[in-house]
Amino acid sequence: MKQLFLLVSFSLCLQAGAQVPVSTMSDDSSRSIELREIQVSSKEPGNRQRMLHFYRANQSSTLEDILSRLPELSLLRRGSYGMEPAIRSLSGGQINVLVDGMRIHGACTDKMDPATIYIEPLNLENLQLQTGTTGFVNGSAIGGTLNLKTAIPVCHPGKKINGTISSGYQSAARSIHDAFQLNYSANKWAFLGTASYRKSNPYRIGGGEKIAFSQYEKINYSFASTFRLNAFSRIKADYIGDNGWNTGYPALPMDVGYAVARIGALSLQHDKPGRPVYRWQVKLYANQVRHYMDDTHRPAVPVHMDMPGRSLTFGLFAEGELKLNSRQELHIIADASSTRLRASMTMYEPGQLPMYMLTWPDNRKNQYGAGLNWSYRADSNWLLQSALRLDYVSTALSSREAKDHISVLGFTNASRNEILKNISFTANRKLSQWLKSSVSLGYAERMPTATELYGFYLFNAQDGYDYTGNPGLKPEQSIQGEVSVLIHGKKGQFRAGVFYNHIAHFISGAVNPSFSSMTAGANGVKTYEALPGARLAGIESSLLLKPLSRLDIVSTLRYTDGRDHNGDPLPMIAPLKNTSSVRYQFSKVFLQLETETAADQRRISRKYGEDKTNGYILFHLRSGFSFLLAGKKTDLQFGVENLFDKKYHEHLDWGNVARPGRNGYVMVKWQF
Amino acid sequence: MKKSVCILLPFCFLSVFILLTACSKDKADNNPTAGMTKISEGYAAGAATKVEIYSKQSHVNTGYNKFYIALYDSASGNRVEEAHIHLTPVMDMGMMQHNAPFENPVSETASGHLFPCSVTFVMPSGSGNWTLEIEVHNHVTDKEGSLVLPVTVTDPAKSRQQSFTAMHNGAKYFISLIEPSSPRVGINDLELAIYKKEAMDSWPADSSLTVTMIPEMPSMGHSSPNNVNPVHTGNGHYKGKVNFTMTGLWRLNLDFMSGSAVADTTRFFDVEF
Repeated sequence: MKQLFLLVSFSLCLQAGAQVPVSTMSDDSSRSIELREIQVSSKEPGNRQRMLHFYRANQSSTLEDILSRLPELSLLRRGSYGMEPAIRSLSGGQINVLVDGMRIHGACTDKMDPATIYIEPLNLENLQLQTGTTGFVNGSAIGGTLNLKTAIPVCHPGKKINGTISSGYQSAARSIHDAFQLNYSANKWAFLGTASYRKSNPYRIGGGEKIAFSQYEKINYSFASTFRLNAFSRIKADYIGDNGWNTGYPALPMDVGYAVARIGALSLQHDKPGRPVYRWQVKLYANQVRHYMDDTHRPAVPVHMDMPGRSLTFGLFAEGELKLNSRQELHIIADASSTRLRASMTMYEPGQLPMYMLTWPDNRKNQYGAGLNWSYRADSNWLLQSALRLDYVSTALSSREAKDHISVLGFTNASRNEILKNISFTANRKLSQWLKSSVSLGYAERMPTATELYGFYLFNAQDGYDYTGNPGLKPEQSIQGEVSVLIHGKKGQFRAGVFYNHIAHFISGAVNPSFSSMTAGANGVKTYEALPGARLAGIESSLLLKPLSRLDIVSTLRYTDGRDHNGDPLPMIAPLKNTSSVRYQFSKVFLQLETETAADQRRISRKYGEDKTNGYILFHLRSGFSFLLAGKKTDLQFGVENLFDKKYHEHLDWGNVARPGRNGYVMVKWQF
Repeated sequence: MKKSVCILLPFCFLSVFILLTACSKDKADNNPTAGMTKISEGYAAGAATKVEIYSKQSHVNTGYNKFYIALYDSASGNRVEEAHIHLTPVMDMGMMQHNAPFENPVSETASGHLFPCSVTFVMPSGSGNWTLEIEVHNHVTDKEGSLVLPVTVTDPAKSRQQSFTAMHNGAKYFISLIEPSSPRVGINDLELAIYKKEAMDSWPADSSLTVTMIPEMPSMGHSSPNNVNPVHTGNGHYKGKVNFTMTGLWRLNLDFMSGSAVADTTRFFDVEF
């Protein structure tokens, strides 16, 4: 009884204390953008949201296509599916990738299942990207946060059904994509269901060759419902299911036979404009990912191998937006989560007992944290912001078997308890009617990942080493700063920024000559160690122009330089890259020409198996128009990507596997 | 009401705990050979003592066998826990006979009601017959006697007994793998026993060799980290650590040195689990 009371009062405290920019925005997304521009991020995301909007107009694109066009983001590619996002060259445990604020840990030891694969563009309401200095409010991280917000059921007065059916085809992989969305609302209730099916065959690259093991097939379905309690509050339930199978990874020695994700959440949301606590939500969530890798279909494998993995995460958070007075606002979040991981490998040698080991020995991570983002509009020209975050993280091996595994590596106590501290300050100054600038400084920490702490002979196909974990690793610490200017006029805007990030205890694999590699043909074993330091510096700029009401020009440019403490280049750093698009809207038809240009990448890390990557320039041509079919709005889009059938790969593509060549696509979308 | 529950609860737990621990202790006291297999039994004529031999293995295997001998007064049936026991294993091959390495019980007082000892059967039964002579001096009755028990020795699925003729002195050495007896992924105890055959009836423990052990998975060609080479700890027993990074078939490659001279580098034990 007492416990129950404590629990209730605790959750009440959370609610009371947690008022702020909750992820749930109003249904009017443009308003949310405006809101966000002032409040949350120092990075003027309005610019970014407009860019997102622009790229989303191409409705055949995958989420990955959209992400890859943001200047702060790059994607690590191991196959044609499941690319891993990196924010300013930081990825994995260095960043948060959230779905509606929920933590989802992949179940694949090779990071083939980033959380981004569970959200289809159809189900994406909006995308929040916060870079280093402000990107830790949702969870201690040195690289920022990518939060994917799923579509929200729309409430209409009275009963109403509406929806979308779309179907697309792409020629390079002879792939199809069918999607269906249905929104139903009845007074206080609203439901939104989406379903999507993708099937892709091995794709052809520039020149015509086919990449074996680049196929995939998946279905994704989601269901969301809201019940309006009163004018300001609602209960929301979400469920996302994702089943993938026969997913090839040409850059890896194995494929994914079957991958299943189940994501569920229940939240209470409150939205009352004009009140000091004008928005809050409390959310309870759970998700499970299961992932089965095997090499059944690969020819000439020395030993047949299975690698299943499983992750289970429970969490809750409360967040709120609070208007202290006319000048000050606060976003507060308090959260807790628990993640359990286990992955194993079994090899079958005929005539012998199976060879079995845990690659992620059973481990759990419990995390409790609170963060806030405070903004103070000092006067009409100055906007000051500060972000804070504290996390208590406890990780441990959770079975005798797991402890036995790690003891082989020479570690008897593998439990870790850390307090992670993050703080940043941002000053935004309006210099003139058309010029704004922003300076930001921050300090952030992040916990080593399960792989870095407890990984057990995990093969890295990029550098050819088996990796073993190191439970003694310290958290990475980052000191970073960024300066940006935004020039905006009636016909467009231009943003340019520079950033610098110094990372202490930079976690990296170091060759361990006393260990012998487990994987046949591997170069040796690397153990995760903390380098004294590493630094990342870069520039990002974006230009959005609308010289005529029918003409849009979008161009982004980015460049990053990463060095370790010896001045040697860091691995997986994208070269100078520009993406430019020009779109002209004729009376009904639009025409868009896009170029993607990447410079050579010569600053490479040979230690990590990298080689030089050649630059390239690609041209894409897109078009589309809308018409009425059976009285309903219908969009038809078509185009050709990689118009000149260039054979190329990006520097971040593992194994130098070439990307698709000329790709014609067509997509039809019918709204009812 | 609530208060009384609060007070009573710890007592309940405590009493349950005591009960549980008491029970488990009783059990152990009652049956020291629980989980063991009785290999053989007989009466030591003259000592008025019944002899029972137990092993934690279900069979007597070629190699090192740890035995636990239980003695009973043949008249009263009471346990005899003060006795002097001497073993003599004999291999009778018709044309010839030889003995084998053994370890008599160290103490004349039983440990946990039993007398631990060992015999290293250097070959399986088949080309001859093994017998084990047990001489008992019952200190309770101060009577002496002996018995001879036949023993059937079989080769285990994976050999735990190797021998070699040393390159440095031409002597024949017998190596037994004692641990790991139940291998698992992780750090395992490694224990070898080394005996030197000086004559058909003389098989003393050897402490003169140094041993290097490198585990390997033959089908994968990889080893494991942080192994500890076995070093002599007494009575021909060498103890170290062997680490297994996965289940499957492992080969423990052994090199034996006498000072800087190579004794043998060709022997290994296979362990599969």
